[in-house]
Amino acid sequence: MATKKPVLCPNCGAHIKKNGYCSACHMPLPVLKKAFNTSDYYYNIGYDRAVARDLSGAIDSLNISLRYNKKNIMSRNLLGLVYYEMGEIVNALSQWVMSVNYQLNGNLASKYLKELRQDPTLLANVDQIAQKYNLALSYARSEDFDLSIIQLKSLLSANPHFVKGYLLLALLYINSDNYERARTTLRRVLKIDKANTLAIHYLHEMGDTDENIIEMSKESVENDGLLDADEEAITLSTMGKKNGSRVKMFFGDLVERYKAKAVSRGEYGEISLAKYSGIYVLLGMVLGIFLLYFIVVPAQKRKITDEKDKLIKSYSEELADKNATINSLTNDIANLNAELEAANNPDTAGDNPLPDYSGIQNGMSDEDLQNMINNE
Amino acid sequence: MINFEEELKRFQPIPEVNQAEDAIYSNDLKDISDIVFQVTEEMKSASEDVANRMVGRVRR
Repeated sequence: MATKKPVLCPNCGAHIKKNGYCSACHMPLPVLKKAFNTSDYYYNIGYDRAVARDLSGAIDSLNISLRYNKKNIMSRNLLGLVYYEMGEIVNALSQWVMSVNYQLNGNLASKYLKELRQDPTLLANVDQIAQKYNLALSYARSEDFDLSIIQLKSLLSANPHFVKGYLLLALLYINSDNYERARTTLRRVLKIDKANTLAIHYLHEMGDTDENIIEMSKESVENDGLLDADEEAITLSTMGKKNGSRVKMFFGDLVERYKAKAVSRGEYGEISLAKYSGIYVLLGMVLGIFLLYFIVVPAQKRKITDEKDKLIKSYSEELADKNATINSLTNDIANLNAELEAANNPDTAGDNPLPDYSGIQNGMSDEDLQNMINNE
Repeated sequence: MINFEEELKRFQPIPEVNQAEDAIYSNDLKDISDIVFQVTEEMKSASEDVANRMVGRVRR
């Protein structure tokens, strides 16, 4: 007979009594189970939203999940990850540190913290970005809008995923009636966080419809010129771009890991190969040129040479025929001329050739001439 | 129309790295189990109070 496994309290690990209450902390087990299930439910919603890039929605769901169970490691790690993607690295760190505090072994947050610790320049830059943002905010509050914009552009060049920075920059542009710049800035927000409520609120206030906003979020933000205008004011550009791509790579890598662990609930997002289209076109052109020069052109040359040879041969044969005809006709003409001449002079023709007058000399008398003719 | 001053109030300074510790301590929220634990502790202390009063009355 199998022994019944003792039920342990999920809160403190002590035995649960027969009445359903913990023997140590006196917590009711059904209530705890219900709370933990609800926490997992909100984690799943948060996960789906994060994968669909509704990051602010994911933050809401994951915070609710933690309200039901603050020791939900998956929720806490994912919340840290979402904060990291939105450029709020201190918040991400705090979530991961608490996660490690609740569970040290087999916790992904340990790996994230280790990766961050391995790059001390990243933490220094994070600190600098926070200082710049706070400075920009204080400039904005004291109505030094130009200085505030310069600070924000500088920090956004260093961390292109910092959503709060974009939102403040958009607000400053709206305040200076520079609506196109504000739209460009908010488009960048929507690229990171598709359903950012503040960004959508600002766009609605600028007169954009929901359809416009959806179209806008699909447009590319590369080379939109938002952060290029004041590059001379940017001090962190080189290091910052590196870190920005690192943030993107880090988030992508970690989302992949979460995907592998989470229960599949449908596919979100698309794999875009558009960035490789230029390379594909170039490769196609090179291949086309290769085929043209090494296969098509030699075949054409061979074909033309064959045709030329055939033509020369036919012309040569025709020329030989013509030459033969000319020769035979020339012979005919000669024969006919001879016949004609014979017909015109019947006396001289035949066996009586003209006498030989080679013996005639000057001063011969008529008599000598007559003798000579007679002798002949 | 957007009221700049009102909107600006939404933006708060973000913690720097040296303030991360404070952020961690301030982030330690109460969950359902904390609330249930607090309620059971209150009920327990209340029941002990009632029991003590009863014992006092009996002794008197």
